[in-house]
Amino acid sequence: MFPTAIAVLQLLPLDGTGTASDLMQSAVDLARSGLPVGTGRRARRRAAPWLVIAAIFVSLLALLPLAFIIWVAVQTGWETVSALVFRPRVGELLVNTVLLVLLTVPIAIVLSVALAWLSERSDLPGARLWAWLCVAPLAIPAFVHSYAWITMVPRLHGLWAGVLVSVIAYFPFLYLPVSAALRRLDPALEDAAAALGLGPWRVFWRVVLPQLRLAICGGSLLVGLHLLAEYGLYVFIRFDTFTTAIVDQFQSTFNGPAANMLAGVLVSCCFVLLGLEVLVRGEERYARVGSGAARYQQRTRLGRATIPSLALFVVTTLLALGVPFVTIGGWLAAGGAAVWRFDEIGLALGQTLFLAIAGALLATVAAMPMAWISIRAPGPLQRLLEGCNYIVGSLPGVVIALALVTITVRIALPLYQTLFTILVAYALMFLPRALVSLRASIAQAPVELERAASSLGRPPLQALWSTTIRLSAPGAAAGMALVALGIMNELTATQMLAPNGTRTLAMAFWSYSGEIDYASAAPYAFIMVAMSLPLTWLLYVQSKRMAGR
Amino acid sequence: MKYALSTLVGATALAISLIAGPAMAADDGIIVYNAQHENLTKAWAEGFTKETGIKVTVRNGGDSDFSNQIVAEGAASPADVFLTENSPAMVLVESAGLFAPVDADTLAQVPNDYQPASGKWVGVAARSTVFAYNKTKLTADQLPKSMLDLADPSWKGRWAASPSGADFQAIVSALLQLRGEAATADWLKAMKTNFTAYKGNSTVMKAVNAGEIEGGVIYHYYYFGDQAKTGENSKNVDLYYFKNQDPGAFVSISGGGVLASSKHPKEAQAFLKWVTGKGGQEILKTGDSFEYAVGKGAQSNPKLVPLADLQAPKVDATTLNSKKVTDLMTAAGLL
Amino acid sequence: MSFLEISGLHKHYGPVAALAGVDLSVISGSRTAIVGPSGCGKTTLLRLIAGFEAPDQGRITLDGEVLAKDGSAVPAHRRGIGVVAQDGALFPHLTIGDNIGFGMGRGEDKRAERIVELAYIVGLDKAILKRRPHELSGGQQQRVALARAMAMKPRLMLLDEPFSALDTGLRASMRKAVAELLEAAGITTILVTHDQAEALSFASQVAVMRDGKFSQVGTPRELYLKPKDRMIAEFLGDAIILPAKISGGFANSPLGRIAVDTSDSRDVARIMLRPEQIALKRTSREGMSGTPDMLFGEVTESEFAGSMCTVAVRLLNSADPPDAAAIGNTPLILRKPGMDAPAVGEIVRLTVSGKAHVFA
Repeated sequence: MFPTAIAVLQLLPLDGTGTASDLMQSAVDLARSGLPVGTGRRARRRAAPWLVIAAIFVSLLALLPLAFIIWVAVQTGWETVSALVFRPRVGELLVNTVLLVLLTVPIAIVLSVALAWLSERSDLPGARLWAWLCVAPLAIPAFVHSYAWITMVPRLHGLWAGVLVSVIAYFPFLYLPVSAALRRLDPALEDAAAALGLGPWRVFWRVVLPQLRLAICGGSLLVGLHLLAEYGLYVFIRFDTFTTAIVDQFQSTFNGPAANMLAGVLVSCCFVLLGLEVLVRGEERYARVGSGAARYQQRTRLGRATIPSLALFVVTTLLALGVPFVTIGGWLAAGGAAVWRFDEIGLALGQTLFLAIAGALLATVAAMPMAWISIRAPGPLQRLLEGCNYIVGSLPGVVIALALVTITVRIALPLYQTLFTILVAYALMFLPRALVSLRASIAQAPVELERAASSLGRPPLQALWSTTIRLSAPGAAAGMALVALGIMNELTATQMLAPNGTRTLAMAFWSYSGEIDYASAAPYAFIMVAMSLPLTWLLYVQSKRMAGR
Repeated sequence: MKYALSTLVGATALAISLIAGPAMAADDGIIVYNAQHENLTKAWAEGFTKETGIKVTVRNGGDSDFSNQIVAEGAASPADVFLTENSPAMVLVESAGLFAPVDADTLAQVPNDYQPASGKWVGVAARSTVFAYNKTKLTADQLPKSMLDLADPSWKGRWAASPSGADFQAIVSALLQLRGEAATADWLKAMKTNFTAYKGNSTVMKAVNAGEIEGGVIYHYYYFGDQAKTGENSKNVDLYYFKNQDPGAFVSISGGGVLASSKHPKEAQAFLKWVTGKGGQEILKTGDSFEYAVGKGAQSNPKLVPLADLQAPKVDATTLNSKKVTDLMTAAGLL
Repeated sequence: MSFLEISGLHKHYGPVAALAGVDLSVISGSRTAIVGPSGCGKTTLLRLIAGFEAPDQGRITLDGEVLAKDGSAVPAHRRGIGVVAQDGALFPHLTIGDNIGFGMGRGEDKRAERIVELAYIVGLDKAILKRRPHELSGGQQQRVALARAMAMKPRLMLLDEPFSALDTGLRASMRKAVAELLEAAGITTILVTHDQAEALSFASQVAVMRDGKFSQVGTPRELYLKPKDRMIAEFLGDAIILPAKISGGFANSPLGRIAVDTSDSRDVARIMLRPEQIALKRTSREGMSGTPDMLFGEVTESEFAGSMCTVAVRLLNSADPPDAAAIGNTPLILRKPGMDAPAVGEIVRLTVSGKAHVFA
């Protein structure tokens, strides 16, 4: 499972007043643009040196995996590297991976835009319910989606199966930002276009769609990165991508050069995606020009199109939620009481919660200095450091894990297979999630309060604690929840790095389903989904609120 | 409300770390890097702990990743015992000089055929290569005479395997030893065009059962395990033993060894002794693993075709070369 | 000849009636302003004319063509009606040039030339065409929006508070420029605004709207000097409203005998004066004696605000004793040039010029 790279939250607009970034922007985008985050109104100020040092430290740590891959490549020598990289198998994987991305992303875009438009801008009956149902599939780990499908259609395999399950598992990453963007669109623009003689379809193509471009770009990037990083989903349906091949190599040779070179190619693919997104997105500005509140949006009457529109939602919901729920329910029924091995499940649940919460805490603490600097003392250094964090956040978990395994084994053996290392891995993978949420909430805590606390005699750290940190606590909690969600469903890095004796829900699920004991795997799938659902609700509510501002 | 929420989160975090934290730190007892089936090792560990009171912490993984991992970890490996499904992984660790000699008592419990001359590790169980086929798609006369026949173009698209698993890689290592590098490379190349890749032997059998594919090269016990449960993934499946000293009749020895770096060598040796002894081997007979017992005088599950009838080729387990196999398979584009 | 004809227009949003029977007729080539407090329904009316929404009841015809009738409506894009919104509603994803050319066909003849020409007409520099909307000032954005709407040669131009986002200084000059421009192009225009001064100065016909209905329609002069009721009077400017008894073209009021604009006779009536009809002349308490038919007052407040000064005057003697007590407690609020405004405590003589308006 992937770090769910850049949190979904990041996809949501944080704030319209210029304080915060735009959640719609993707990682790099945030990094690249240096964030217009509220710098305009507030006087820039020098960051405390210890904060800068902390931020630099975190960023350097974040760069470790990348540096490691380069280091391994250099050490391996060009000849071996080229032999391992330029071979037919890599070509095959490349074709598979590229086709997967090229097919999945456009389909997901069309589906998400249609669903988002219908739920936000039409008089679809039950629009609110449908909107939530379109976010809910995020609660189901991708490999559980695949598990459900392979149960329903055992023969499912190959590229098209990959496309089908990927679209179903990942379309909410597009749906969320697109619907948020639609909600924020100024209806006056559509009126203006209609008054200029454009029919509804042409208005959509020439005015609405171009303004969704940023949201679509950001969401597509997220989906693309997930496609590159996902492991379990494609194992079930027998579709080989770079990530599955890296894990195969890891299983055959541990941290051999072949695995590392595949990782190198995979990282290059990530960079290509990041670069493509920057190119496609261009320099567009999509915010409302001018002042005044946006008018209440009129919902388009669907009329006779109501039934087909409802059918689209029903089908999507059936595929994305119905299939997993029916399957898990079916296996639970088939397994009966026997599959509820409470001692084992309890232990896995406890360990998973512990890792999730500890990892979320660490990620949040690690993100704190960077978030503070990016709001209070932005500048080129901060932009650079933040860029590092986001790029690492977009790397597949398997790459980060591979790097940490090798580094700890070779250089820092006392840290090998320790709780510390796995938590560091989680923190690196999910740092962007924590960062985005934190930054948004720090942006809402006026710097004046911090200054007031200082002037009332609090030393800097205490002043920070008693004002900004306290005020940003709700945002930090939301960020932590999202990090925890990611950790809970993480598989590959956990398998490679976890301390001896660790068995998380995802690991247990994976191990049972690997032995085709689908019934025993079902309780774990059920618990993972049940624990994630409230978090997706949080995400949904937050996206509503943020776009509403 | 907001503060209440964050306080709640904090309190929960603290509570859980107090409860779950210690459960994850295993500083007493022995650590087993287990590449065997989880249930089997779990049964062994429970039996052993019950008898000796020594705690066993199991880390689950695969033959190849663990063997390579142990080599990478070197003297600092946290593992005390290494259990595999196949021999090549044991050979890899042995040739890195990381095993301590197995206690003589333990070696004495296992026939010489199932242990290397070096005495650095010992066989704990065995498994046979089979061709699992779909009864409704293939009749007995259509079956391949030898595993090598599967390279024939007539078998294109008709058979399956799990090339990323150590099981299949062990079979290839036997082929390599029996027929040499050139023949193996050719066979792998033909395999790449002919076969369909699945992840895991269970998945192969499931596909065969469903008629997605006619047959697959796996080990025998997957079939018996499923039959013992509901048979839903094997009801259309039958097993074909190549016999005849064919590479496809290879019997793979699952090994166990004690790491030289073990901090609890006495307990580790005791564990290995228990596994190869009566208690451990009895579990192979009565449990749901359906692997062959290898202990002297130990009986395998009566449902199995007796080991002696399998006409397995004579393969020296100590020469199985896992590194060469993965290189050849990587070159053939199977990995 | 009526160009735009609206009759019996109704529009409800749920239980709220936004329009409750609106009738309006607009002459070709004229400028009409619809003015009213926010929430009165003026924007709804504009949206119905533009075709963004359909009326529940009523009829809209433009140049003889029925645009909307009882729930069915020609969609906006087939109406050929230009709209300039409050903040311009420029497309943020397009350059200024593309914004202006948006309504033209992509391959239209001389598209580029037309864009440059339109930019010139609205007073924009050619260099601006390659920029993006957010790089422009508010005034420039409005000019672009206007050029964009004019590019499609609309039959009717609707302006929805287009100047409200601009600075006070810029607002007046923009208003004048736009009025001249549309006049020159001969485009019939409807302006919606909540700013009465804007409405009065811009339009040849002003319609005052309240609670979804027009309370009065007429020329700016008519509305200012002869409002139908007190609310219209006060909406369009400061008003002094007095009780009076009228007969023979004159009113007997607390301010004395004042000529009125009607020859009716009524014992109880209300008259309206615009404050600028009352002149103040400095005098002293001594000057008051012996002139019983003259009106005097004392300045109780004087608030200097640069060019203008707001002066409160309490009447010292009134020609109409019965109501004197009532009016005596309520000072008249007058705005006078700041240069020579009377100070607090000074005694002034009040004189009324022109006729007072009598409310029906």
